[in-house]
Amino acid sequence: MTTFWQNILGFNADSPLLFTQFYFWAFFALVFTLFALIMEAIPDRLGNRKLHLRNIYLLFVSWFFYYKTSGLFLLILAFVTLSDWLIAQRIKANNGRQMAKVWLCLSVAIDLGLLAYFKYAYFFTNMINNLLGTGFRVFDIFAYIGNGFAQAGRFSVDTIVLPVGISFYMFQVISYTADVFRGRIQPVKNILDFGFYVSFFPQLVAGPIVRAEEFIPQLYKPYHLSRRYFGLAIFWILNGLAKKIIMSDYLAVNLIDRVFDNPLLFSGFENLFALFAYSLQVYADFSGYTDIAIGVALLMGFYLPMNFNSPYKSQSPQEFWRRWHMSLGRWLKTYLYIPLGGNRKIGFGTYFWISLIALVSAALTGWWVWILVPTGALIVGIIVWDKVLQRSCLTGEAVEKRKLLYSNLNSFITQVLGGLWHGASWNFIIWGGINGIGMIVEKIWREMGWHLRFAAMTLLTTGLCLADYWTQLPVWRLFAVWAAIVWIGTAVRYVYFLRQGADTRWTKALSSAWAVLQTFTFITFTRLFFRSSSNLDPATANKVAWETAKNMVNQIGGAWNNQIIPAFVWEYRWVVAMFVLGMVIHWVPTNWKRRYRLAFSAMPLWLMVGAVCLAILVIYQFVSAEMQPFIYFQF
Amino acid sequence: MRPNHVLLFIAACLLCLGLLCILLPHRVEVGTRTLRWPTLGEVFGNQESGVRSQDSEIFLDSLSDADSPESMDTLVAERAKPEIPRVSVDSVTDSRVFLGAFYASLAESGQKVVRVVHYGDSQIEEDRMSQQIREALQNRYGGQGCGLMPLAQTIPNKTVKQQLRMNNRPVQPAQGPRRYLVYGPKHDQRSDGRYGVMGQVAMMNDSLVRGSEELTAICTPLIPTAQYRRWRVFADTSIHYSFAGDTVRLSGHGAVYGLSQESETGVIVDNIPMRGCLGLVFTKMDRGQLERFYREQNVKLIIMQFGGNAIPFNENPGTISGIVKGLRQQVQYIRECAPDASILFIGPSDMARQVDGEWESYPMIPYMDRLLRKMALEEQIAYFSLFRWMGGSGSMLRWREIGLAGEDGVHFYRGGARKAGNAVGEWILEGITE
Repeated sequence: MTTFWQNILGFNADSPLLFTQFYFWAFFALVFTLFALIMEAIPDRLGNRKLHLRNIYLLFVSWFFYYKTSGLFLLILAFVTLSDWLIAQRIKANNGRQMAKVWLCLSVAIDLGLLAYFKYAYFFTNMINNLLGTGFRVFDIFAYIGNGFAQAGRFSVDTIVLPVGISFYMFQVISYTADVFRGRIQPVKNILDFGFYVSFFPQLVAGPIVRAEEFIPQLYKPYHLSRRYFGLAIFWILNGLAKKIIMSDYLAVNLIDRVFDNPLLFSGFENLFALFAYSLQVYADFSGYTDIAIGVALLMGFYLPMNFNSPYKSQSPQEFWRRWHMSLGRWLKTYLYIPLGGNRKIGFGTYFWISLIALVSAALTGWWVWILVPTGALIVGIIVWDKVLQRSCLTGEAVEKRKLLYSNLNSFITQVLGGLWHGASWNFIIWGGINGIGMIVEKIWREMGWHLRFAAMTLLTTGLCLADYWTQLPVWRLFAVWAAIVWIGTAVRYVYFLRQGADTRWTKALSSAWAVLQTFTFITFTRLFFRSSSNLDPATANKVAWETAKNMVNQIGGAWNNQIIPAFVWEYRWVVAMFVLGMVIHWVPTNWKRRYRLAFSAMPLWLMVGAVCLAILVIYQFVSAEMQPFIYFQF
Repeated sequence: MRPNHVLLFIAACLLCLGLLCILLPHRVEVGTRTLRWPTLGEVFGNQESGVRSQDSEIFLDSLSDADSPESMDTLVAERAKPEIPRVSVDSVTDSRVFLGAFYASLAESGQKVVRVVHYGDSQIEEDRMSQQIREALQNRYGGQGCGLMPLAQTIPNKTVKQQLRMNNRPVQPAQGPRRYLVYGPKHDQRSDGRYGVMGQVAMMNDSLVRGSEELTAICTPLIPTAQYRRWRVFADTSIHYSFAGDTVRLSGHGAVYGLSQESETGVIVDNIPMRGCLGLVFTKMDRGQLERFYREQNVKLIIMQFGGNAIPFNENPGTISGIVKGLRQQVQYIRECAPDASILFIGPSDMARQVDGEWESYPMIPYMDRLLRKMALEEQIAYFSLFRWMGGSGSMLRWREIGLAGEDGVHFYRGGARKAGNAVGEWILEGITE
C-alpha cells in the first residue's frame, strides 16, 4: 500500500502519471471525489464563488499533476501563467494603441524564447557548430541558477531537459494574448482562473491545444453533463485506452520498434509493413491519448475540441491536415497562416521565412549554391509573377491564380514550421516540408485537365523508371514503383474520361477509395522522417533518424523478397491482424461510428459498468501479452 | 448527471474491477494463449512494478571486478532460480592465459599479417564490435583495412561501402551472384560444405553473370579517420581478391568466397556476421577449406560470439545445456582446423522481453553464460562474458534507457556496440604481458 501512495503522491521522474497506468485512474478517482464534494456540498446560490472554488481546486490539482510529471518545471508553467496574465492586462489597458502591439510582441517573445530555449537549444547549437566549425555545447542557465550560481550541484548544467507539454501550453498562452489583442476575448480578471485554463490537467501534456476563446467562457459556466454526454465521455476513455494499448503499444513492441531500430535486419516487405503499421501506431497513440483527455475533461463538465477525425480517410493531403491534430491545425491557421497573409497576400513575413528556411538548410547541408541560388530565383520569380498578375487582376482567373500562389507559399511555410514544432530536428523539418510540397502538388494536380495529368504522370514515371534503370539505387526503385502504380490509376481514369464514362455511385466510390489509398501512402511515406528516438541525445537522435529513414528506403527499394511474405504473415499473424483490424475500424463510415457511440452512451448504467470491466479485461490481455519472438526471415 | 452520480459510477467500476482481481484466477490457459489478470497485490504495488531488474548497476569500467571470484559467487546466489541447475566454475583462472598463441604471434605483425576472424550473430552486423577490436589491435600493432567482406554485400557495412556493377551498370546485391549460406534456410545451403571461411559463397556461374559479362565490386572505406587513411588506395579499384592477392575484375564462372581490403603486414580483423545463427554451423563447413585459409592467412585468433539466438526460444535448462554442448563441438572443430590459433568465445549480452506488461531480462541468460564460461575453461579457450560486463540481469533495460541499446531489448545501438567492442579490444590488450 505504501508503494501505491508513493506512486500517486510522490515525484519520480521515471514514472510520470500516464493515462494508461492504474495510478492515474486512482489519482483521478481521488480528485473526482473531492470535486464532487465541492460541487454537491456547496449550495448553488453561491454562484460564481462556487465556480471559483471549483476552478481553484482544479488548478491546484493540475499543478500537482504537472509536478508529478515534470517536477520543478512547474515553475516554468507558473511563470508563463503570471507573465501572460499580466501582459494581457496591459494589452487591454492599451487597447488600440501601439503599446498593445509592443506588449503582444513581448508576450510572444517570452513564450517562444522559453520554448526555443528548452526545445531547440540543441538544434541551434548544432546548427551553429556545423556552420562555424565551433564546438559549443549547451549550458543550462536555469540549472546554474538552481545550483546557487554554481556549475556543480543538484542540477546538471550540461543538459537541457525538455519540460513535458511545453509545446502545448506555450501555444495556449500565445493564443490567449493574441485573442485579447484582437479583442476576441476579454482578459481573465482572476489569475487563478487563467492558471486553470493554462494548466487543466487532462490536456496539459499532450493536447488538444485549447484556444482561449474556446475554453475561458467555460470557466464561468456551472457544471452540466447530460446523460448522453456522460456515456460519450466513458466511450472516449475506453476508446482511447484501446487505441493506445491495443493498437499502438502492441504493434510497437512486437514489430515496429524492432524494424525501426534495425531496418537492415528485415526485408523490404517487412520494412514497408512496419512503416504502414507505424502510421497506424502514431495515429492510435496520439489520438488515443487525446480521446482519453476529452473523456476525462467531459466528466468534469469541460468540453475540449475534437482533435482527430479519422485522418486516414482523407482524399488529399490538404484534407488530411484538416482531420489530423485539428487543434494544432486550427492554431497554425489562426496564428501563423492567416497573419502571414493566407491566400490574400504575401509580404515581409513570407519572404522572411522562405529566406530563413533556405539559409538554415544551406548552412546545415553546406549546399550554399544549390539552395540559395534557386531560392533567390524563386523569390524574384514570385515577385515578378505577382506584379504581372497584379496588372492583369481584372480577370477572375488571375485573381484565382494569385490566391493559389499566396496560399501555396504561406501554407508551405506553415507546414515547415509545424514540422519544427513537432520536434527540434532536421527530420521533422523535412517531414513538414514534404507535407507542404504534397499539399501544393495536390492543389496543382486538381487544377490540371485530364490530358495534362496523364502526360505529366507518364513523363514522371518514365523519368523515374529510367533513373532506376541507370542508377539501380533503391530510392529510385521505390519512387519508380510508386509512380508506376499511380500511373496505372491515372491511366484507367484517363481512359474512362476519354470514353466519356458517366459518374456513377460506383465510380465515385472507386475514385474516393483510390484517393484515400494514395493519400494514406503519401502520409505513410512522410512518416519515414517522423520518428526520433527519445532515449538518445538530440544530435545523435537526428543522425539515427536520418540513417533509419535511409536504411528503410534502401531495404524497401532494394531488398524486397516476395518469398518470405507468407512466412512473415503467418509468424506475425497477431500483429498483422491487429493492423488490419485497426485500419478496418478506422475506415468504418462515420455514420456507423456515430451510431455505435450513441448506442453505447444510451446503455443502462449497470450495463455500462459491465462494459467498462469487460473492456479493461480485454485491454489488459494486450498489456500482458507475451512478446512476439524475434524471427529472421532474411539471411 | 450530477457529479455524485458520476462519482458513484466511478466507484462502481473500481469496485467491480477490484472484485474481479479477487475472483478471477491470475492466469488461464486458453489453447496456446494465456489470459492474465492482475491480483490486488499487483495493482496496489506490493509487488515490484515497472522494470524488473535483479541487478541494474552497470560496471562498465572494469571487467576484472566482474571476473573476481566474489562477484561470481554473489551472482550465482542472487540469480540462480530453483529450477535452474547450479553450475560451478573455476573463477580464479584468468581465461586470457589461453590467448598465449595469439599474443606471441603479435611480435611478427611487423613482417606479415596476423589475422583475427570474428564470427558472430546479428549483434556484430555492419562491422559492429569488430571495428573497435580492429582499431584497438591495429593502433598498437599496425595494419590497415577492414579484412574480408562478401562479394555482394547484402547487409551494408558501416566501415566499407560496396557497389556492384555488372557490365559497367550498377546492380543490387540481390541481383548479383547466387549466394549460398551455411547459416541460411535450407534452399540457400549446399551439400558439399564448401562455403569458404565466411560461411557464404557467391556462385558466378549460377548468377546473372554469364560468360562474357563482367562483375565489378567497388569498395569504398567509410571511415575517414587517420586509422584508415591508407585505405583510400583501394577506393578506385575494382576487386581485391584475397587469395589471389591481386586486384581483379571478375568475369566468367567460379565460386567467390570473399573480397578483402587489407595491408600486407599488421593485424587484420575480419567481421563475419551470421544473422540468426546459433553458432552450430561450423561443423557443416568444409574442413579442408577452413584449414587452408586459417593456415595460409596466418589466422591467430578466432573470436566466436554466439548464444543470443538461443535465449528467446528456450526456457528449459536442458535445451540450453544441449546448445552449449553443440557449441563445444564447434569450438573443438575450429581448433582442429586452426590448431595454431587461439580461440576467444564471447557470450551473449543481456537481453530483455516484456512479460505481463513489464520488461525483464530473459531468465536463462545467467545460466547460459555460466555454462559457456565453464565450457570455455574446460576447452582451454578464452571467454569474455558480455552479459556480466554489461552489469548482469536487467542491464539491457538500463542500456535501453541511456540510448545504448534498441527498443527491442536485444540489439545494441551503434553507441552500445562501440562501448562493447572497445571493452573487448581493451580486455584482449590488457592480457598481454610484455
